[in-house]
Amino acid sequence: MKGGRQRIEFEGVSAQIRPETVSLSAPDIAIVEQNFDFDLLTPAKLMEKAVGRDVTIVRVNPATGAETREQAEVLATNGGVVLKIGQRIEVLRDDGLPVRVIFDKVPDNLRARPTLSVTIDSARAGTRAASLSYLTPGLGWKADYVALYDEAAGKIDVQGWITLTNSSGTTYENAQTLLVAGSPSQAASPGVTAWRPPIRRPTLEQAGTESGSRERLGDFYLYPLPERTTIANLQTKQVGFLDVHGVPAEHGYEFRNHWLATSDQPLSAKSIYRFSTSAHAGLGDQLPAGTLRFYLRDKRGEPQFIGESRIDHTPMGSTLSLATGDAFDVKVKPVVDKRTRVNERGWTTDMRYELSNALDRPVTVTVLQDGLWGDSRISAESQKSTRRSADTAEWTVSIPANGRTVLTASFDTRF
Amino acid sequence: MPARRSGWLLVSSGAAVAGLLMSASSESQSSIADARAGAPSAVSVTVYRDPYRASGSIDLDRLAGFALITETRAVDLREGESWLRFEGVADGIEPESAIVTGLDDGIIDKNRDAAVLSPSALVAAAVGKPLLLTRTNPKTGRVEHLPGTVLSDAEGGVMFRSEQGIEALRCSGLPETLSFDGTQGLRAHPTLSVRIRASRTLIETATLSYLAHGFDWAADYTATLSPDERSMDLGAWVTLANGNGTGFPEARTQVVAGRVNRESGEVEPIDIGGPIVANCWPRGSTSDVPMPLQLDLRSPNPRQRGFMKAAAAPIATGLQEIMGDARRVQQEQLGDLKLYRIPEPTTLASRQSKQIRLLDRTAVPVVTVYGIELADDENSPGTVGGVPASRYLRTMNTEANRLGIPLPSGHVEIFAIRQGRHLLVHESSLRDLAVNEEVEIGLGPSPDVRVDATGTGRSHRVEISNARAAPIGFELKLRLRDGAHIVDANRKVETKDGRPIFRLTLPPHSTAVVRYQTAVSP
Repeated sequence: MKGGRQRIEFEGVSAQIRPETVSLSAPDIAIVEQNFDFDLLTPAKLMEKAVGRDVTIVRVNPATGAETREQAEVLATNGGVVLKIGQRIEVLRDDGLPVRVIFDKVPDNLRARPTLSVTIDSARAGTRAASLSYLTPGLGWKADYVALYDEAAGKIDVQGWITLTNSSGTTYENAQTLLVAGSPSQAASPGVTAWRPPIRRPTLEQAGTESGSRERLGDFYLYPLPERTTIANLQTKQVGFLDVHGVPAEHGYEFRNHWLATSDQPLSAKSIYRFSTSAHAGLGDQLPAGTLRFYLRDKRGEPQFIGESRIDHTPMGSTLSLATGDAFDVKVKPVVDKRTRVNERGWTTDMRYELSNALDRPVTVTVLQDGLWGDSRISAESQKSTRRSADTAEWTVSIPANGRTVLTASFDTRF
Repeated sequence: MPARRSGWLLVSSGAAVAGLLMSASSESQSSIADARAGAPSAVSVTVYRDPYRASGSIDLDRLAGFALITETRAVDLREGESWLRFEGVADGIEPESAIVTGLDDGIIDKNRDAAVLSPSALVAAAVGKPLLLTRTNPKTGRVEHLPGTVLSDAEGGVMFRSEQGIEALRCSGLPETLSFDGTQGLRAHPTLSVRIRASRTLIETATLSYLAHGFDWAADYTATLSPDERSMDLGAWVTLANGNGTGFPEARTQVVAGRVNRESGEVEPIDIGGPIVANCWPRGSTSDVPMPLQLDLRSPNPRQRGFMKAAAAPIATGLQEIMGDARRVQQEQLGDLKLYRIPEPTTLASRQSKQIRLLDRTAVPVVTVYGIELADDENSPGTVGGVPASRYLRTMNTEANRLGIPLPSGHVEIFAIRQGRHLLVHESSLRDLAVNEEVEIGLGPSPDVRVDATGTGRSHRVEISNARAAPIGFELKLRLRDGAHIVDANRKVETKDGRPIFRLTLPPHSTAVVRYQTAVSP
């Protein structure tokens, strides 16, 4: 930079830069002002800015091809360009004949892309490194996991990939990249109400209490990419961060019935895989939020996809229970057998759950009945339940190979 | 100062905000070799159903299922760092699901570049770079090549600077076009590539597997009723379809039955490209404001909202290929799903639907039942007049009934044979049925069996008329209001699935009357 007051333009910043978050720092400079110019160079704008100025027009005679060159003053551009040529007033291309308009310069503040400029006061002249930082939307990342389940051994191999996406409109060349796991809160933009995600099946069975060796930023974990990399516009980039083999995993079934839900046909139970992220007999790492895809080898030994589940940021030492889809052969038919009004303030509901298993091995299904609101009592049941929470009762039901089991329960409720 | 940027980038997942630090210090990037993986061989395609589609046939206009594609490719890499490009993957690839194995541990990162070669992308990439403007005089045919620079392509208007001055593209009324210097690294399709650092010259076979959308499959059953309606022949096809522009020659092909969980995550960014838009200044009279030419090339998939979303595989049109009876799929268990393997490799061409025989079972015993379900709640007091009853075919999915196999969800066409011809009776659908489950196929309303119901508060009268020349079994199901039960009835009442049901047999050309009274407990 030169000494004294000057303007520096920064090209190639993110096309979606939040200009209010820009900060520039360099030795021996003082910032006078920061500007973000978003007046873009388009034919219409250029014509608009040329009002009161002279342009060159070139008429092309459609019969002979001859060109006639004239100077014209632009008088107005309101819905049509009005020109003053000599003493005549004309409307540009009102007759539809070819006319080229040639401008001799572009006004300073019209640009191809929005441009960031900073006016600084430099104490001395010379080259020195300056750093510019800003926030931009359009960049994001999540984790993607690949889990290969070994049915015979009851073990999974898990690989984790960080998936970085760039739709910010700019390519970041040779960048040192650091990923933050966790969601730094941001003030909502004006007029935007926060979107609430729908309630999902909880995947975190028990939150972990172990600390990992990863670098932290406050309560967030940092995942630095191992080396500088170019993140092109509209690029999806994946870098591996986890590769664990032979982690013990359990496979089970779960069926959740909502209060008073009754069905005249059997409904599939969910197929559940459960494993730990603990350092002992687990993945031994905290898991950034993302999607876990399960694979299983078919009879020929080829891995086949069997479903996926999203996980939230998961601390180390947690127990995860993930649903991959519906079981074809394990089904539950929930039936409201009887609803009796006992008195003004009470009902008795007799529930029957008909469980069936078309597999040639016995299975265990976790049956959940929710909607108990805490003031419901189970007055009779065919096997002992546990109350997972005030709202939910849980039974662990075994079904023999190619067999059926019936579970019954009576609930005393106020509704 | 055109210093090379050498900054760092801080990306957080949820908020998608990044910080960029730029400094003038520069570190040059070492040169990276460009390598191309060989053509796919040993391709395997496993098709999964649309997890959110109801049972029934697939819709070729909306193939919302997906497939797992696994292929091997020959790789020839020299020592050092290379970009290894995989070309000819399915258009519907979900890049985050791609797995590359067989290349030791030298993979630095996997990339999918979605900036594709299009007229608008060429102009955008050419801003500030030299190119040629070609203008043809319409009368004399004289062609003028004008070297210059694109100054801007903002908001769909192109400004161009040459030694003659600054002009706007296609605003003069003369034929004008741009010619570019190279394709700026843009390619026809989104490209999957891996950056790999090889410690030695690598001649290997890499395996690439990924999920791709734009596929679907369903079972299509035909049930042929015997003349006495006591048995049926059940045949089925597996119908699978590929809506992608990519074909899979000689592929091992499987389909998977059962609903698998899919997360409707963010779709990766993709730029579908567009034409060169040359918006001009207002010209002519005030009434002549031209609308800019704007083509929407995005695919009309309702699942994908917003601008930066991937285009789905294009709409499927095309040929149907039907195979001989001899080739039937083989079923095996895959965890809690059912995998059906097509016995020999087959070519799954682009935009093709294909059928392979799933099963053939003859003389499956069935029972025909008529029935109606009457609701008795606050909204409908259970009064209907002359409503046709529904007709069902019922059987159990057991070996004794000549079935006893998993029946994947699909569309059912029911035929009856009259005068030696197959006549369509009804179309219905089946859900996923495990072994030992009851199979119920709807045959639609029957005009010969009608139901009249009248109710006054708690007393109800239901009259069923049978105009058929054969005795029929009839089921009257009731859906009572909460807490209500039947206190009195003129016929035996049973309970099925927690609801009252009357099971009747009506002789030919007869009517039957059911009377019942309900009461609500205290």
